[in-house]
Amino acid sequence: MPLNQSLKGKEYQEVAFRVDPGHVVRFADAIGDSNPVFRDPEAARALGYPEQIAPPTFVTVMQIMTSGQVVVDPELGLNYALVVHGEQEYEWERPVRVGETLRATPRIVDIYARGPNEFVVIEADIRDEAGNPFAASRTTLLSRGTASGAS
Amino acid sequence: MAATVKFQDVNVGDELPPVSKVVKREEVKAYADASGDQNPLHQDDAFAQSVGFPGIIAHGMFSMAHVATAITDWLGDPGALKRMKVQFRAVVFMDETLVARGRIETLDAATKRARLSVWAEVDRGGQRQLVIKNSEAEVQLA
Repeated sequence: MPLNQSLKGKEYQEVAFRVDPGHVVRFADAIGDSNPVFRDPEAARALGYPEQIAPPTFVTVMQIMTSGQVVVDPELGLNYALVVHGEQEYEWERPVRVGETLRATPRIVDIYARGPNEFVVIEADIRDEAGNPFAASRTTLLSRGTASGAS
Repeated sequence: MAATVKFQDVNVGDELPPVSKVVKREEVKAYADASGDQNPLHQDDAFAQSVGFPGIIAHGMFSMAHVATAITDWLGDPGALKRMKVQFRAVVFMDETLVARGRIETLDAATKRARLSVWAEVDRGGQRQLVIKNSEAEVQLA
């Protein structure tokens, strides 16, 4: 069944989470990145950062929380079993630091069909504690075979 | 906060050192826990088989993270990676060897930024499968 096009522009709830140093280490371990700046504050300071930093794609934790709201929105009509992550874009002005609280408010910026598939594009600016955006996420989800007229 | 790669030392067409790793089930489980993406497709073989795969597959973002590591290992400073855009085009199975690669496509002397094409591949039965393709990154060089 086709997705609900009228949700283009819909904004979701703000999500917030504090960047825990142990979480950053677990994430760096999971992706197999051994860079000491993700584990050791001294190594991070040697590179000019005030604190331990997180790997660039640590913002995926935020992306999962923000896109997750869209995926389960009953108004949109996504069938989770048919959803594939098609594309992901991130921008960073600076790395995420341990101890800071990140906030983001996702919104659907586009819903379109191409061939038998439909696409949902979700954007979220990631803001610091002062409310200033310093990173951004753009996620394209692919809904397999749900376009109008697809068999 | 600066890359160790200097703008004057690089040229269009230069390739990044490839970074390989064997994708292990325990790492994919650890990634599910650390990222918060608990989709059973990445943890439950029976579920993955029910949707037509021989077993669980790695998260697309797991492969993106590996490409990011290849870029930031080369740069010397994770903060020098400014933008990254990837397309997920094929799945990765457990115990496959994932190779992340990149090449300098354009250089901007005014900003000392480089635009890279980046990709990730696995060898599946002698055939090269592009897991991440048509993808790019922008980096700040010193």
